[in-house]
Amino acid sequence: MFRYMRLHKIFIKQDLKKLMEYKVDFLLGAVGFLLEQAVQIFCLGIIFASIPALVYRENGVVQDSWIFNEVLFIYGFSLIPKGIDHLFFDNLWGLGYWIVDKGDFDKYLTRPVYSWFYVLCEKFCVDALGEIIVGVALIIYSTLTMPMEVASAINWWRVLPVLAVMPFCIMIFTSVKTATAAISFWTKRSGHITHMCYMTNDFAKYPAKIYNVFVKTVITYILPFALTAYYPAIFILRGESWWSLPVTVLVSVVLFAVSQFIWNKGISSYESAGS
Amino acid sequence: MKRLIRIYKPFTRAGLLEMVAYRVNFIFFLLGEIMKCFVMFFVWKAVFDSSVEPTLHGFTYDNMVVYIFITFLSGYITYSDGSYVVGKEILDGSIAMRMIKPVNFDMCFLFQELGGKILQLLIVFLPITVGVEAYRWIANGVFMMNIPMFFVYFLSLLLAYGINFFFNVIYGFLAFYLKNLWGTDIIKGVIVGFLSGATVPLAFMGAFGEAIGFLPFASLSYTPVMIYMGMYSAGEIIFYMGLQIVWLLVFAVTSRLVLNSAMKRLVVHGG
Amino acid sequence: MKSDIMIQVRNLKKEFKKAIKEPGLKGSFKALFKPEYEIVKAVDDISFDVKRGEIIGFIGPNGAGKSTVIKMLTGILTPTSGECRIDGKIPTENRKDYVKEIGVVFGQRTQLWWDLALRETYMVLKEIYEIPEEDYKERMAFLNQVLELDDFITSPVRTLSLGQRMRADIAASLLHNPKVLFLDEPTIGLDVVVKDNIRKAIQKISEESGTTVILTTHDLEDIELLCKRIVMIDKGKKVFDGELSELRRRYGQMRELGFELRNVDDIAKLTYKEDFAFSDDDLSIERSGSNVKVRFNSDVVSVEKMLSYTLSKVHVKDVNCKDADIEEIIRRLYLGGGEAQ
Repeated sequence: MFRYMRLHKIFIKQDLKKLMEYKVDFLLGAVGFLLEQAVQIFCLGIIFASIPALVYRENGVVQDSWIFNEVLFIYGFSLIPKGIDHLFFDNLWGLGYWIVDKGDFDKYLTRPVYSWFYVLCEKFCVDALGEIIVGVALIIYSTLTMPMEVASAINWWRVLPVLAVMPFCIMIFTSVKTATAAISFWTKRSGHITHMCYMTNDFAKYPAKIYNVFVKTVITYILPFALTAYYPAIFILRGESWWSLPVTVLVSVVLFAVSQFIWNKGISSYESAGS
Repeated sequence: MKRLIRIYKPFTRAGLLEMVAYRVNFIFFLLGEIMKCFVMFFVWKAVFDSSVEPTLHGFTYDNMVVYIFITFLSGYITYSDGSYVVGKEILDGSIAMRMIKPVNFDMCFLFQELGGKILQLLIVFLPITVGVEAYRWIANGVFMMNIPMFFVYFLSLLLAYGINFFFNVIYGFLAFYLKNLWGTDIIKGVIVGFLSGATVPLAFMGAFGEAIGFLPFASLSYTPVMIYMGMYSAGEIIFYMGLQIVWLLVFAVTSRLVLNSAMKRLVVHGG
Repeated sequence: MKSDIMIQVRNLKKEFKKAIKEPGLKGSFKALFKPEYEIVKAVDDISFDVKRGEIIGFIGPNGAGKSTVIKMLTGILTPTSGECRIDGKIPTENRKDYVKEIGVVFGQRTQLWWDLALRETYMVLKEIYEIPEEDYKERMAFLNQVLELDDFITSPVRTLSLGQRMRADIAASLLHNPKVLFLDEPTIGLDVVVKDNIRKAIQKISEESGTTVILTTHDLEDIELLCKRIVMIDKGKKVFDGELSELRRRYGQMRELGFELRNVDDIAKLTYKEDFAFSDDDLSIERSGSNVKVRFNSDVVSVEKMLSYTLSKVHVKDVNCKDADIEEIIRRLYLGGGEAQ
């Protein structure tokens, strides 16, 4: 394990050096990302300008509601586990888009390191820092500007169990990417499948209650991105949905095991390129 | 015209074949993108549930659902990236191989892309339009589709595609001079997405939105979508489609100028 | 005492599923709705042994299945059936342990990191292979001396020339002192001087470290200079396994006589087969227009005799004579495959 961390450190150092080499690229990328987030939040603001709070009704009766600050908080929280996964484990995208297709996967199999770890640690995606920073900034901004009655519901001690579960939230992202990237061992390219599954995390940026049963089930148990955003965020805000924390651990472990199974099955069907 | 079709038919065919070859990728990618529509579908549902008014800025909830999907569809159908290749080939000199053939090379890319669009119209445009119309039918109890208006929409969509194509030719050059595609691509995507009303209808932005409406970006999707939804009066349709034609001409001429100047550089460099 | 056999390959087979696509738009649409597959036997029942410390040449025409065999031996591909053991270990079974004992170089693509300086690449490999500091220094010094890495060890890999990159790749594959080294086309695309340096280095490494080397190549010279023994495969089957001298003795005497006739009809006058009593294996004639190529076994009839016979019978514009190339030997081996085995 330590060996993998040492390896990862070497590549992190390398990617940071590269960053200095391609400063303009990095800057443009960062500006683009910040602009994207700014526009999204601006649009969220426009939407909320016409309503006092987002409500969820059942048979016309209001069941739950979230003010703009709370929605911002959830949105900001969703960027953190996503950003951390993006920061460390971005290379899985390459696997499904071109590494296997071009036959470049061969080299990962001729080294005495578990191929999955090797793929993971080879790249460090500095751009993801933007996601994490925006996420933290949104959380801070939304809590600071919250009306008293909402802010008083927050118990900051609840952050501790959420932090403990955070690695499992990250594991959800990594496992979904692993499982879908591994499909490329059979089909040569699977980046688009990863894209499709990854996109469902957009649902997790908003309160899960606004979705129908089907979507809610998918984003809680199958592609469980709601466990990485809405549930832990609302737990911090109101102490609701505490059950989601153990569920996150359980679901992420299962998902991880499944993704590893697919990966190893895939390796034995890997056909390399050429022939 | 006949000659034009004969010359460029092979390019259209090649584009179609390429699309068939990458069909699986393209369907999954599409599903991922449609996911965003469904997120917005639920968010707007909650927003309308939260509002005391049945309409927001002139939009009912049903309008909004149609807006989300038709905006996505229009953006998807008018998407253009063949122009990228134009810029790249000019800068690496491989365009020379195309110049020796008796064809107009930006037209080659245009027709190649149109080939792919044929398949997209079949497997994307058709089902989504049918789906949206079925939704409207069920939600309102009446068949809402206005066939003549649909043709006007389609015409406006073609204009939008033309604008997008030439806009991308120009952008392609800029990006290649700047050397960074990934970063500028995000910036372009965000700006175009926002200013064309793809994220939130321009009507929600008040006077600011109205001003944006005159920019070329609104011509890319907002205009056709509003026509589809029947939100524009006859006068507005004529005005905004006239605007589309103006922008199309502006971009077509500009892209020609950019292309020509780049070609001259190519000759000077002896590439 | 360990066994003398390093690599043991038994009835190795690999099959691939390949989609059949008919040409044209119609074919594409057909493939869209009803894809059809065929089974391709890339490697079909191959067995051989390699002794410890041996350098063997693994040859065959393009698409013969060479790379597929190498990829199975290195654990990249899982065999459809049959097995290979290297020092008693099965490649795909305990990959992590197994690959510590082998080094792999693919001539066509580097395994180094494009943006890393070469020295840093070796530092990463040191971590990956868990090489102790002391061994690493010693090994680096040796490889440095054999492959002359010093000139470019601080440059990023992307700036290296093809020859430098190949040397760097070979060094990278040997850093952990593997028992077996796989070299897939190590001299491809290199100029004569660089090729020669690389061959010398491989020889030296094999001598000094006792490394077993498996070499695939298209270059007959690689084989001549490095290998005593060759294994030849074609269409997935083994067609020859033995000493190089044996191959030469049996098949190496083929020569090719090429000439251009002044009068095309003269071809009828050239009755080599009847006049010299060649067997079918020893003679083949290829003709296109007025150009004629005669391949023959120079053990049966000497080059001198063939030439004077030809010149006495017909008028020629131009004439040349050359050794049969490896493709020719392989072609002949394939025709007489049964006998060679």
